[in-house]
Amino acid sequence: MNTAKPFLSYLQKFVNLTDAEFEQLLMPVIKFRNFAKKELLTKAGDVENHFNFIIQGLIRKYYTKGSLEINTQISTEGHIIHCQESYHSRLPSEYSIEAIEPSKVVSISYADLEEVFAASKKMEHLGRLVITSTMVLKDRWQIQMVKMTPRERFLNFVTKNPEMMQRVPQKFLASYLNFKPETFSRFNHLLKGHVRAVHSL
Amino acid sequence: MNNPIQKVTTRSLEFITEYLQRYMQMTKDEVELLLQYCELRYFDKKEIILKEGETDNYFSMVVSGLVRKYIRVKKNEVILQLATEGHMVHSETSFLTRTPSLVELETLEPTTILSIRYDLMQEALAKYPNGERLGRLILTRMYIKKDERKHDRAAKTMKERFLEYVTNHPHMLQRVPQKYLASYLNIKPETFSRLKHLVKEKK
Repeated sequence: MNTAKPFLSYLQKFVNLTDAEFEQLLMPVIKFRNFAKKELLTKAGDVENHFNFIIQGLIRKYYTKGSLEINTQISTEGHIIHCQESYHSRLPSEYSIEAIEPSKVVSISYADLEEVFAASKKMEHLGRLVITSTMVLKDRWQIQMVKMTPRERFLNFVTKNPEMMQRVPQKFLASYLNFKPETFSRFNHLLKGHVRAVHSL
Repeated sequence: MNNPIQKVTTRSLEFITEYLQRYMQMTKDEVELLLQYCELRYFDKKEIILKEGETDNYFSMVVSGLVRKYIRVKKNEVILQLATEGHMVHSETSFLTRTPSLVELETLEPTTILSIRYDLMQEALAKYPNGERLGRLILTRMYIKKDERKHDRAAKTMKERFLEYVTNHPHMLQRVPQKYLASYLNIKPETFSRLKHLVKEKK
């Protein structure tokens, strides 16, 4: 229960969920899973069977294009990461999910989560709010990718996620923000000036 | 209360029922009950449904016609969606978070849209049996569609995107101006013309 606490706190942002309800409705279906650095949570070609919430660590989601790996998500503690499209459609995933750091996640299987929804209207409500919130994130990301210049995307990202610059290898961040690794290095210079500017505020 | 059912033809009622039954079992009566919360909106060709900066008050589905969703980037417009019969079209973030929209919606044909207003949707979700479930399933489906499209746009070559789209949506070449299709598929207009030859030769 204590280990799952960050997950409960996350859900409480959406509904008023008590410790007892969490204990009764969700704890029975929650599994804790640990992954070593570079271990796969889900492999492309497999059907995604889990909903995952990151308790600790750093995880990426990617697909391969020729010999390249393109990252579509890089997430830390407090975020959801799984192959949603495969999870919901029950078809093989086009994406893989890999731990960048040793990671611990809370996982719920597809069948279990469907039962949770069927058994409780409150959980169904919660499920809708969580999917709504991920929908909004995806919509904003899509708009950002179209509307912002690479330079704006870079500055926006590092301002909002300063710790990611330390934790994530640059080659992963470059494909995630959709620019070439060399462009990323060039932007790094920009960052030094930017950090100075922020500190002088 | 505005009762759209009187205005909904039998055909569109069947269309809507069939659509909703993809998500869960619903009787005609249940669909009619749900429609009490909805309204039909009619637009001419080239009419703006939603402007940038406005908050989208409606969660909408196209019953007939064609709507484009786009975003202004400097002097250009980038098409994000071309919605026809049965497609959901609105500014998702604006509607769901009650904030000004960054995208605009415009009809390309005379269009009928079935919409549910934000406040009435909250009421329907709470009161309608299985409302929460239906809401969750529709949003999930939309989410997957959005993700698939994002993936296609990034992972597929221009030629693949073009051929797949015209194969799956042959009627769209007739219905949508080429410049819009090109923008939607992220292909330069001149390249798009060249790719069109490819389809003709194949026939």
